Order: sequence, then structure tokens, then C-alpha cells
Amino acid sequence: MTTHSVTLTAKDRKTAEFEHLLDVRDLQVEFRMRSGVAKAINGVSFHLDDRETLAILGESGSGKSVTAQAIMGILDTPPGYVTGGQVLFQGADMLAMPTKQRARMRGPKISMIFQDALSALNPVFPVGWQIAEMFRIHRKMNKSDSMQQAIRLMERVHIPGAKERYKAYPHQFSGGMRQRIMIAMAIALDPWILIADEPTTALDVTVQAQIMDLLKELQDEFGMGLILITHDLGVVANVADRIAVMYAGRLMEVAPVEPLYAQPRHPYTIGLLESVPRLDSKLGETLPAIGGLPPNLLAMPDGCPFNPRCRFATDQCRHGAPPTLVDLANNEIGRQAACWRVDDADVTTEGRLAAGGGQE
Amino acid sequence: MSGEVILQARDLVKHYPIRTGVIQRVTGHVRAVDGVSFDLHAGETLGVVGESGCGKSTLGRLLMRLEEPTSGSVVFDGVEMYRQRGAAMRRLRRDIQIVFQDPYTSLNPRKTVGDIVGEPFEIHRDAAPKGSRRQKVQELLDLVGLNPEHINRYPHQFSGGQRQRIGVARGIALNPKVLICDEPVSALDVSVQAQVVNLLEKLQNELGLAYIFIAHDLAVVRHISDRVAVMYLGRIVEMGDEEEIYDRPTHPYTQALLSAVPVPDPTLKGTREQIVLTGDVPSPANPPSGCHFHTRCWRVRDEPDQQVCAEKVPTLEEHGDGVGTHVCACHFAQLRPQVVASA
Repeated sequence: MTTHSVTLTAKDRKTAEFEHLLDVRDLQVEFRMRSGVAKAINGVSFHLDDRETLAILGESGSGKSVTAQAIMGILDTPPGYVTGGQVLFQGADMLAMPTKQRARMRGPKISMIFQDALSALNPVFPVGWQIAEMFRIHRKMNKSDSMQQAIRLMERVHIPGAKERYKAYPHQFSGGMRQRIMIAMAIALDPWILIADEPTTALDVTVQAQIMDLLKELQDEFGMGLILITHDLGVVANVADRIAVMYAGRLMEVAPVEPLYAQPRHPYTIGLLESVPRLDSKLGETLPAIGGLPPNLLAMPDGCPFNPRCRFATDQCRHGAPPTLVDLANNEIGRQAACWRVDDADVTTEGRLAAGGGQE
Repeated sequence: MSGEVILQARDLVKHYPIRTGVIQRVTGHVRAVDGVSFDLHAGETLGVVGESGCGKSTLGRLLMRLEEPTSGSVVFDGVEMYRQRGAAMRRLRRDIQIVFQDPYTSLNPRKTVGDIVGEPFEIHRDAAPKGSRRQKVQELLDLVGLNPEHINRYPHQFSGGQRQRIGVARGIALNPKVLICDEPVSALDVSVQAQVVNLLEKLQNELGLAYIFIAHDLAVVRHISDRVAVMYLGRIVEMGDEEEIYDRPTHPYTQALLSAVPVPDPTLKGTREQIVLTGDVPSPANPPSGCHFHTRCWRVRDEPDQQVCAEKVPTLEEHGDGVGTHVCACHFAQLRPQVVASA
């Protein structure tokens, strides 16, 4: 692991020159389809620092995966197009880079793991070969060196019998082990940023705990920034430093994890926290569900995208431009929300109540 | 809240043969369900939890008689289910219905909602006379919170949560006594999941249904269940009422499972002791000897001289002595303080 400790110190020195490791500014993505143009992402801005874990929380269709794909530059084009914004990696705009330069960044600078490891891995090549490919292509290693490296990585992610299993195929592994292989591929080139798109959604709770522990361990060791994309409020609470809540292609609320759970400020976050069944919940209580459905991206409601489902909505919410993400008043450091009524008494009271449910 | 025993499963076993070679010789068996017994009372909810591959879905299919068991019996309303044939079995089927996990694949995309929800009436023609069927379907749609006017729409025109409501409407069409819910909310988003869970609870109150609620999400199961059975590799390892399982679990597997559930409360980070199990669930084709769980058991790991775990199959029994009145299949069943986050 000596090589890694060397790169670590190098990393620390470099980041000091930039405000943030990754700075996403006003990102816009649309899908052009026969049925119309769907604005999947409408001006999303956030940043990620070195060694930090940012969770992007949202339901299906909220645009959280599309955000990740746009940052990685792996959006399916067509139909998806990045139509505006900047993705600054150490100050350099990745969206303005030539394709080749960008491809060179995927792996050593920023890499990604996907939800479904079985479909993300190539079924006709041995897993070791697929991990070693990272070294062959990016580091121009020969076959035996790259194999050594791949085995070392497989051991690093705790795959038992790594040497023997180098030649095994993806289908011969269990779900948890496949996810470990994907993680091995993603960290192969010691990236600065790891994006994990629903890394544990397809796994059982006991295996999920193992994978989250592994990610945490690797993050500490390699000093990566981690973007965790998930819909699971439980996973987020345990691992994230900050949380960005997405809805219908917009950020609704951004906050450090503890204040967010202690007092959610955006009505959507309040609703989400309320609707999660708790392990200590009592039988027979009705879950406070958010009524209605997430909006159709082809026919967005006027005003705030959440207003048709929001119990606090007023006329201001229903018409005109949607509220933008602004810093919250009274020295709540690092907290932002996009809601007209964020400071109204009934919203803040409900927020406190929603949080109270989990703290008995 | 629970009435008389309505369904009684005894030593249910389902082994699937593994065939290999050109002549398809049977070389082994996948022991999907390996001796499961329980009672279900009228109007109650029995939650069945476990990791993937533990046999909980196969159990659901056995209770529906979508699979024939290798051995064992299910007595429903005093009738032995697996001995029924033809018309008698069809009559039985009216009383046990199922809602599947994936609302995207369990609905025929080429049929309208009216056809899908009305199909049970096609088979059980005496349940609703032909003329009143359409009205009956509309009543069902209304009951599950869908717009009755959408009767002519196709499944793709609905969202995931709405599709699951269609599945529920089909399940309750024949006024069953038991509804088996096989992971009914795991494919849904949190906000929509809560809507479907509330719907299931509402229907139970109104129609007096008994549920077998199969899921891997422990929090959802606690929310809806009166009693809970924890399965591991084809066997029930612990069963009791909802408080006994969640607040006073005695099986090391249940304790590990509960400790692994991420709790949506960051202030508890670090204060909860997590038991992280090593490795994956062993293959049910070749389960470990003795207690199936002993290879991953954290207590065997801590006290390695517990030979009996590898040798003797523990029976599901009460342990008494303040350990709890519910049944647990462990030689060393024991309470463990601080397993649930709230405590």
C-alpha cells in the first residue's frame, strides 16, 4: 500500500489550490424524445470536497442518476443532452473538455460503480481480466503485471481466494461479491472521486452493511470524495456528511446530515422522513404518506415542482418561477433549501415533528 | 385481534432437483423450503422476513399451490389443500390470493385494467354475474384508490404505485380470506410505498383479510405485522409477535439482521452496535450441517467451542427462563441488550 500513501499526500497538496474538489454549477440536462423534451435536470448546483461523502437522495425519476451520468460524461446521447452548466473538477470544466481528454479522466480522476453489478460487468470475460483492463489501458501494463495488480485489488476488497477466483466469471459470484468486483475496478486507478449509484439497493441488509463498511474503509484509506446516490434514508444517515435532496430534476434541500434529520426544512424532505417506516414503529399507526405522484417530466406543473403534493402550498408556489436553492437565514451553516415557505412557522414546526418521530 | 386458526402449515418441504449431464441425472437438491410449520389466524398479518434465497417466496408459492410440495401439509379451513383436485381446489383458490412483487411484470401489458382485475370473475363465474362485472371491477378500483374511469387503460399508463394497486385489486376481487403479499412494496419509492402499506392496512380492517406479508425490509414488516417469522435457508429460525421479534430477539441471526438495518437517524451513528455478518448466505443446494446458520454465526465465532451447532439441528421451541415466550431455533438462544436502535 506504499504507492497509495504517496499519492495521498500529493492529493492533499493539490486540493488546497481549489475551493472545491468538484464543483457542479447550474447543470442542465434534457432528454429529447419523440413525445417531447423532458427536462431531467434543471439547474443543479453542488460541490464535493476531498474525503467528503455527499449523498444525493431522491426517488426514481428525480434525476439523481442522470446527474451522475452527466458528471461522468456517460449520458446516452441521444436522447440525453447536457444543455448548460459547468462541472469543475479542480477548477477545470469537464464539460468543455475534448472527448479524449475526458475519457482519460475516467478512472484515475473520477470513477463510478453501478447498482446492478451483473449487468455492469461483461459476462464473457473473467472478472480478474476486467479489473486488469484498467491497468492495461490506463497504465499500459503488460498482462502479468496487470494480473498481479488485479489480484492485489481483489484481496483489498476482501474477495476470499482472490488468486483462484481471478479467472472466474461474473455469474459465478454472489451479488455482494460482484459489487466488490465493481468497487475494485472503480478504485483501481486510485480516483479522487468515486460516484456510487445505488451501490447496495439490490443487496440484502447483511451484505449491504458489509459493502457500506468497505466503501467507508476505502474512502478513509484512499482519501476519496464519495458521491453516494440512493433512495434509502437509512443508509444515508449512517454514512453521509452532507445530503442533497433531489426532486423532479431540482435540488430541494442541501444540508449536513445531522441538522437535516434533526429538522428537515423543505416540505418534501419532511414528507420523506415521515413516510419511512421505522424499526421501532408501533403496529397500527398509519404511515404519513406523501399523497399523489412525482410529476411527469414532460408536463411539469407551474411553479414549484412539488406544489401539487405539498400540504403547505400557497398561490405563490403554484404559479410563476419555481423557488431557487438559497442559503438559509440565521447562521445555519451549509444549509440550503428551495422553498418559498421555508421560514414559515407551520413548515418549521412540522419539520421538528417529523424528526421527533425517530428520536423517542 | 386474531381469530381462529385459518391456515395451518406443517413441515412444508420443497426440494428442487438439480439435474446435470446429457441424461439429466438428478445430482442433488436445492432445499428451498426445508420443514416450515406455522399457524395463521383469521384477520392477522404474519410477516415473513429473510435474505434473498432463504425460501420465503417459495413458501408463498407453496401456500398458493403454485408449486407442489415435496412433503408436508397445509390445512386451510379444515381442508387439506394438497389433496384437493378440480372443482374443490378451485373453490379453495378463491380464498387464497396473491399480490406479486413486481408490478411491471405481473400485469399483462396487452390487457386493460378492467380485464386484469376482472379476470378472477372469468374463472369463478359465480362470483359475479356477467352483467355486473364491470361495475364490480369499478368498485374494486375505487376501493384501492384508483379512478374507476380508468378501467379501459393499460398497465403502462400507470405509475409503479398505481400498478401495485391494480395487483391488489385483482388479489381481493374474489373476497379471499388470505392474501399472500410477496414483496409488495419493495419495488416502490418511499413516498409511494407508504401509500400502498396504508392501503393494505385499510383493506385488512375493512375486509378482515389475513395477510402473509413476505418482505426483506424489516421496518416495513414491523409496521404491518402482528407476528413475524424469520427465515434462514429454508427454515424458520425464530417466530413470535412483532414486539418479541423486534425488541427481544433471541436468535443470533435475527439479532444480526436487526442490527444491520440502517436507521434513518444520524445521531445514532456509532452508538448502535452493528453485528456485521461475514460472507454470503450459503447455497441452499449444499446447506451447512447442524444449525444452518453456524457458518456465519457471530456467537459461534466468539465462542468456538460450541460444537453442537455444527452437529445438531436446533428445533424451533420456547426457551423460557426469561429468554422469551416465543419460539427460536438456536441451541444457545439468549437475549441481547440493545439490539434495536430506539431502545
